[in-house]
Parts: sequence; structure tokens; C-alpha cells
Amino acid sequence: MKLFLKLVRKDFKRNRVITTALAVFLILSALLMAGGLRVAGTMISSLNGLNELAVPPEYLQMHKGTYEEEAFESFVETHDYIKDSLIVKMLNINNANIIQQGETLEKCLMDNGFITQNEGFDFLLNMDNEIAVVLDAGIGVPVYYAQELGIEVGDVITLHKSDYIKELTVTTIIRDAQMNAALASSKRFLISQADRDEISQHMGEWEYCFEFLLEEGTSTAVLQKDYIDAGLPANGVAITGSLLTMLNGLSYGLAAFIIIAISILLIMIAVLCLSYIIRATLAEESYTIGEMKAIGFPGKAIEKIYQIKYIILVLAAVVLGFLAAIPFGDFLSSSVVMYCGYGSSEWMKWTSPFIGVTLLSLIVVLGCRKIIRKNLKSTVVELMRGGERIKKEGHYSLPSAGLKYRNLTIALGELKCKWKEYTVIFFVFVFSSFLILLPMNMKNTIEDPSFITYMGVGESDIRIDIQYSEKLMEQKDIADSYLENDSEIENYAIYRNGYVQFQNADGQWEYMRVQNGDQSVFPLNYLKGSAPDDRKEIALSYLYASELGKEVGETLTVIYQREERILTVSGIYQDVTYGGKTAKAAIDFDENEVEVYIIYLDVSDGVSIEEKTDELRSILTNSKITPISEFVSQTLGGITNNMRLAEGAAILISLLLIMLITVMILQLITAREHSAIAIKKAIGFSNRDIRVQFGIRILMIQFVAIVVGTILANFLGEVIFGWMLNFMGASKIKMLVEPVTAYLLCPALQLLVVFITVIVGTKVVRNYHIRDQIME
Amino acid sequence: MIKVEKISKSFKNAKVLQDISFEIKKGDFVAVMGPSGSGKSTLLYSISGMDSLSCGSVLFEGINISEMQEEELSAFRLTKMGFVFQNAQMLKNLSVFDNIILPGLVAKKELPDDIRKRATKLMKRMEIEGIKERDIREVSGGQLQRASICRAMINNPEILFLDEPTGALNSGATDQVLAILEDLNRDGMTIMTITHNPHVAAKARKVLYIRDGQIAACKEFSVGADRERELDEWLSRH
Repeated sequence: MKLFLKLVRKDFKRNRVITTALAVFLILSALLMAGGLRVAGTMISSLNGLNELAVPPEYLQMHKGTYEEEAFESFVETHDYIKDSLIVKMLNINNANIIQQGETLEKCLMDNGFITQNEGFDFLLNMDNEIAVVLDAGIGVPVYYAQELGIEVGDVITLHKSDYIKELTVTTIIRDAQMNAALASSKRFLISQADRDEISQHMGEWEYCFEFLLEEGTSTAVLQKDYIDAGLPANGVAITGSLLTMLNGLSYGLAAFIIIAISILLIMIAVLCLSYIIRATLAEESYTIGEMKAIGFPGKAIEKIYQIKYIILVLAAVVLGFLAAIPFGDFLSSSVVMYCGYGSSEWMKWTSPFIGVTLLSLIVVLGCRKIIRKNLKSTVVELMRGGERIKKEGHYSLPSAGLKYRNLTIALGELKCKWKEYTVIFFVFVFSSFLILLPMNMKNTIEDPSFITYMGVGESDIRIDIQYSEKLMEQKDIADSYLENDSEIENYAIYRNGYVQFQNADGQWEYMRVQNGDQSVFPLNYLKGSAPDDRKEIALSYLYASELGKEVGETLTVIYQREERILTVSGIYQDVTYGGKTAKAAIDFDENEVEVYIIYLDVSDGVSIEEKTDELRSILTNSKITPISEFVSQTLGGITNNMRLAEGAAILISLLLIMLITVMILQLITAREHSAIAIKKAIGFSNRDIRVQFGIRILMIQFVAIVVGTILANFLGEVIFGWMLNFMGASKIKMLVEPVTAYLLCPALQLLVVFITVIVGTKVVRNYHIRDQIME
Repeated sequence: MIKVEKISKSFKNAKVLQDISFEIKKGDFVAVMGPSGSGKSTLLYSISGMDSLSCGSVLFEGINISEMQEEELSAFRLTKMGFVFQNAQMLKNLSVFDNIILPGLVAKKELPDDIRKRATKLMKRMEIEGIKERDIREVSGGQLQRASICRAMINNPEILFLDEPTGALNSGATDQVLAILEDLNRDGMTIMTITHNPHVAAKARKVLYIRDGQIAACKEFSVGADRERELDEWLSRH
């Protein structure tokens, strides 16, 4: 063993740069693998822990309007599979009426409901994951607001409408298993019964959640069918527990998913590099191996000599990676811990990364063994004539017109003959270019105003929501008349949302949110077909169309005000709002049954959207006014933040990766070509010439790789992005590329990093002294 | 043509060359002999500017090449010197012919067509025109060494440096190469060669014997002498 370690130490000393680069690769792979799994472990533990203590409902039906409590109670009593039930009364208050530190919550897109602590289940928890208790004049604020607005215990929240003012002191921060996620569009505040009763006298609109816990093994579909059949209140969306879990998982899990995906790709690259390095090392050492075999060294011992180095390397890397993953993973999972607590299975954050790095070690060690064994199979003579085994490289011819650009001609000629040696670096360059561009393009697409087209409406500047009021129509009319007379508004359109009933794929009747309004003002790009033309047509969102299996031209039966209507599907569009399930049809909703009026508007050229938003907020005080860019980023909640995080990490990792791989490949190639370098020097090429030739080869490979990576990021990126947003209702995303950044700045940055690395990495050419090479 | 003045070369603490001075005149044929490790090759690489000196200077036609920058020295070597090594060192990705013309195309002293004509002429003279387009691994050692001489001659250098040019050749190939060298020297080419082989050294007009990094002896042959016999006697004294 001592001998082996001595050999390893010598080998490390001799190949310091390559060994270090390889170690960094492996450490990075282990760090990302362990880090990603640590985040995943923490997330699972936290979410499970929160769900165990808060006991969220397995099925809930939202409803606005009146209902009969006895009917609900008798329904619960007559259905054995219902374990428990609740009616949560939520007082929805307009954001403009909620004031915190002198500012209203108008800028925030979330809907805000005020409830009292539930009994039985669906508890709101405090930051110690205990059931929160709020006394009179106190308020429990969702952790989302604590994070986003910096609200702390002791702050005062003021509810204000006309002459009525109610001040509530924040006594606790709330974790809500149901509406924690940034992707959930509503948030719940906890107040006392007395305060809620008082406030409801002055402001707000009641909304009810009929919540259920089911006996084990009962499907929510069974309850849903029975609920609808019983004709129970259902003027609102129905949500299943699995949807809530998915929303939470997406909010917190995306970062973990991205990191694990990157780490898997990185591991593949590390294994590729490793196999390349092992092959290169063994090719250099073939004579020595032949000698060892010739003097009777057993094959296993030779295998051990060459394998032990990589085993030590990978073990050191996974230990370091694992340790570094602790703060790295904790940093990335700080959000899920903040929102959900540590949970009940904290061991997962230790075991899952451990399993991950163990797997990584096995992959690397077994991969090494396979390559080494394959190389050792050669006979002594084959090994000692190592050079002859090397496949014949191709030829290139010198141009008959002479060498106008000698370094370029020679570099390209050599590249033509030796391109196989550059396969690994080519793939790494493709990967890094892809990795930089993908999150960047995704972020650009989301941040572009045209992303609104995936939200079921054409491009516009500002959105106005009028809801939570008994005087919806009056407010809509005020807004209408104001906008009509405002010369700074180029155009606007008013849409009203209401519900119709339709038969789902299982034949059950469900409520469908339908938007009515002039679809021609802000024309939408339809996936298939077009906007509804008359009263006999309906356009469906992508999720509805796929769920119902409807295509353009097919019919759909809906019921509104007990009247059955057969509508033809005129078009299918993408929409990520309202869980991706919306429709558009010219249904004249009764004014009392309009859920919300939404106004989209475009400001005239030269008018600032922000200033116009502020102006409208000061005039239409009871409406929620949001610039579209804000609306998009808030609707997509954590996704944009995660994307930004992924973008930063991707740039950093990619640049580090291309630097490492360039150093490694240069070391290997210059060592392999030492004799060619010596010959070139002898016949009059300077060190600079030779370095330039290496630079041209690497940069040429990188240039092609960047082109391939960019094309991949554009085409494959659309598929990946579409897949990510598919669950939300958008399947076919057109990736919006910021050309200056994507096609100029990013490639230039990558080329610059490699250029600098080549300058540093080719310094080694100076050390390949003619004398040493020729006299060898 | 070349004036070597008190050159020394050390590697770490070992002195490989010590205070060596001598002169090579235009048209000379100098052979350097000596036991293994005596510093013969180091001497050749030092005075040809391929290796740096620890002290002393080398004047090439009055120009101190030991003070030149690497770039300048490369260009100087390209146009003024030709090199032939023990194992014919050639670029694997070029044919024999392209290996020969490469220094010519890089130096750009002549038009590409003239360089090609010159290369063909040289190959004809060395009797290897038949291997022009061959891969360097497809030709014999003797042919390759002759191709190396063609490459060394392509820029019409002032001096030809050879490091054990026949060391890896059989006797037949050795004789061919030696005949070419004699021929070139007869045409006025200055040659300096390192060799172990007295048969090779006997073709030179002057022999330097190196021992422990110093010139232990120097022998100049008189015209018409039986050089091999004289050399044997001289070597037996050293």
C-alpha cells in the first residue's frame, strides 16, 4: 500500500494541473449532486412536516354567494368516506384597502382573505409550526408577505375604507400549508373572530371554502362527483390536495430540480473527461505498463496502481463536495425552511446527498476500472510499441499558394486531422453554451411583455381587476368612463369573468371560468383555430382542451342559468392563469354573477406605464391595477426568481467549466504533441506561433460548439420550457431570445474566458524545450 | 562564420559546458565527438540558439545570437540554419513533401512555386523523389533522414547542424547520408555534426573532442590524409 501511495503522490506531482482540474470537476459534480439532493431532502421533509401539522384539506370547493349550511351538513353526514369537513369563511379585502408601512398592497397581485383559526384541520401555523393563536387587535401575516414586504412581528397593518380604520398589530407570522406557495394566487391572514365580524361590517366580500378530509383510499373524484350531484354550492374553483402539493413542490422544488439536472450533466462530463484523461495517461504510459507486464507484474497489481489514483481523487472530491454541499444546500433551501419549517424527516437532508455521492463514486470508480482493464488487455509487445497502436491520424496538405496566414492554416489543418481529440471539449463547450443560454432565454421569455399571450390575452400594458365589491358594475362604469376620456390611453377592452357548468371527461358537471369581452382589441395568438366569433362558439384553454379531448370544430355542452347551450370550439389558446383552465365565449353573464371585471389597456407612445399605473391607482382606488410585466412575474411567482438564480449559477458554473476543461485539454494535448512542438520550434516557429495555433484550434472548436449550443438552447429549450409550463397551461412556448446578449455578449464572454485560459494554459509550450524533446 | 566565446551551460548545479571557445569558418565540416554525457548535444543546441547559455556568447557572422529574443531567434534559425536530428523528426500530419517545404513556406524567402521546385530538386538529388506524397510512417529510416536533410536545406541555410544524423540508420543508409553530406560540403555548405561514429567524423575536416563539458582536444585533417586511420590513432590517444 505504501508503494501505491508513493506512486500516487509522484503522479500527482507530475500531473499537477490535470489532477487539480479533474479534482475540481469531481468536487463540483459532487457538490451539485449533494447540494441538489440536500435541497430535495429538506424540501420533502419540510413539506411533509408542514402537512402533518397543518393538515391541509384533501379537497376544497370555493364559493361566492349564499349557501345552505344544513344541506352541507347533511351531505357530510350521509357520506361515510368523509373523515372531516369544514366551512372556512374568508373575508376577501381589496389590496387597496390594506395598508402596511404607509403603503397599500395594491402593487401586490395576491388576493387577500382574512380568516379565523380553523378547528379540526387546515390550521395556520406560526413559525414554530404550532397552531397560531391571534387575539383581538392582533393579526397573523402570511410568511410570503414577511419575505416579500419585510413585515415583522410588531408592525401594524391598517385596514381602511371610507371613514372606517382598523389597526391590527402583527403578532405572528403564518405558515399556511394551503396557500404558502408563491404560485398560489391567494394568501390568508389570521385574525380574531371579533375583529373579523367587525371588519366585515365595513368592507370585504365573503368567500367560502368547503373543505374535506377523506378516509384513506378514497379518491377525491368520488367526492367531487357526489358534491356536484348533490347540487351543493360551487360558484368557484375546486382544488384537490394533490394540486396544492404540486404547487408547493414547484415553488420550492424547481431550484433543486435545476441543480440536480445540472449536476447530472456535469457528472456525465466529468466521467467523459476522466475517461479521456485515463486513456491519454495510459497511452503515454503504455511502454511502462508493457515493461511491468514483461517482468511479470500481475495484471491486478498494475490495475491497482492506475486505479488507486482515481479512487483517492474521487473519494477526496466526494468528501469535499459533500461538506461544501451543507452550506450550499442550506442556502438554497432557506426559502422552503422559511415557508415550511424543518419538518419531521430531517435525516433526509443527510441521507439523500450521501446516497448521491456514493453513487457518483461508484460510477466514476467503475468507469475507471472498465477503461483501465480494456487497456491492459493488450499484449506486452503491443504495449511496448504503444505508438503503433495509435490509429493513423489523417493528413492535410499545405496550400499551393503558400502560407499567407501560416498559423491559421496549420491550426486548421491539424484540427482536421486531430478533431477526435477535441470531442470532449466540444461537448463541454456545447453544454456550457446551452447551460448559459437556456435559463437566460427562459427568463427573457417570461420577462418579455409578449409573454402575456400565454396568459390568455393579447399584448397590453396594464391590467385592471375589479372584484371583491358589491358594486362591481358601478366601479367598472367609473373605470370605463375615465379610460374613455383619458387621451393617454391608446385603447382598452373590458372583460368579464363568470362561470358556466360543463360536463367533464368523466361525465360530471363542473364549473368553468369563462371570459366574455371583445377579443379583437388585444388579439391573442391561438394554438389552433381562432377567437369565438358569435354566441355559438367557445375558445378553450390548452389544459381544458386536452383534458376534455376537444379539438377545434367539436362541440361542448354548457349550462348557464339552467339553460343548456351547445357551443362549437372555435380555438385553443395557451393560458397559465387560474391553473390553466379558462375559456372565452360571448355569454351575457348576469351582472350579479360576474366574478371579476378585467380591463386591459395600452398607453399611448411616450407615456410611462409606471406613471400611468400610479395615476390610475390614485383615481380607481377600489381596483387592482398592475403593469403587465409585474402581473406576469407575480403570477409565475417563484419560477422567475428560480430562473434568475439558475441563470446566475449556470453562467458561473459554465465559465468555470470551460476554463477547467480548456486547461485540462491544453495540458494533455501539449504533452501529447511535445514532439511536434519541438519540431516546429526547430524549423523556426516561435513559441508565440505555436501558442497561437493551439488557441486557434480551441477557439475554432468553441465557436462551432457555441453555434450548436445556441441552436440547441433555442430549439430544445422551447421543448424543455414548454414541458415546464405545460402543467400550468402553456405547452408551446416560443422562446424569446435577446439577440445582443444571446448571440453576441454570451458567446463573446465565453470566447474571452477561453482566450484568456489559452493564453495562460499555453505558457507550458515554453517549457517544452527543443533540447529535452529532441534528445529524449 | 561562427565564433564561440567562452560559453558555459549549467543545469541546476551541474556544469554541462565550461568555458568553451572555438570558431567555425564558412565551408567548414566540423564533427564533435565525445563520450555519452560529455555535453556534445548541449554544445550543438547552445551554439545554434536552441538552448540558452549560462554565460559566454555566440557570434553568427558578427551578430551575437545569444542576446536575441526568442521570436527573433526563431526567425534567424528559420532562414540561416538547417537542422537534422538522430530520429528524423517530422510532423505526422503532413506528407514527406509538405514537411520539406513547410520551413520554406513559413520563411517566404521565395515564391511557393519556386520552393516546391527547389524541394523536388533536393529530393531528386537525395534520390527520394518517389516518396513525395507518402506518409512519414510509410518510408524507411534512411529515406526519412534524407528527407530531413532536404527540409534542412530548403531555405538554403548558411550552416547545417546535425545531431547523430546516422545514429538510427543501418550501414547502407549511413553511407548514403554521408555521401550527401560530403557532397553538400563540397558545394560550400558549412556543416557541424555530433557523432559517436568515427566513420562519420572522418568525413569532417575538423574534429572537436569533448569531455566533461570542455574541449579536450581538437584535430584538423590535412588535405589528402587517410582520415579514418588518423582519427583512430588520434582517438586512441584520448
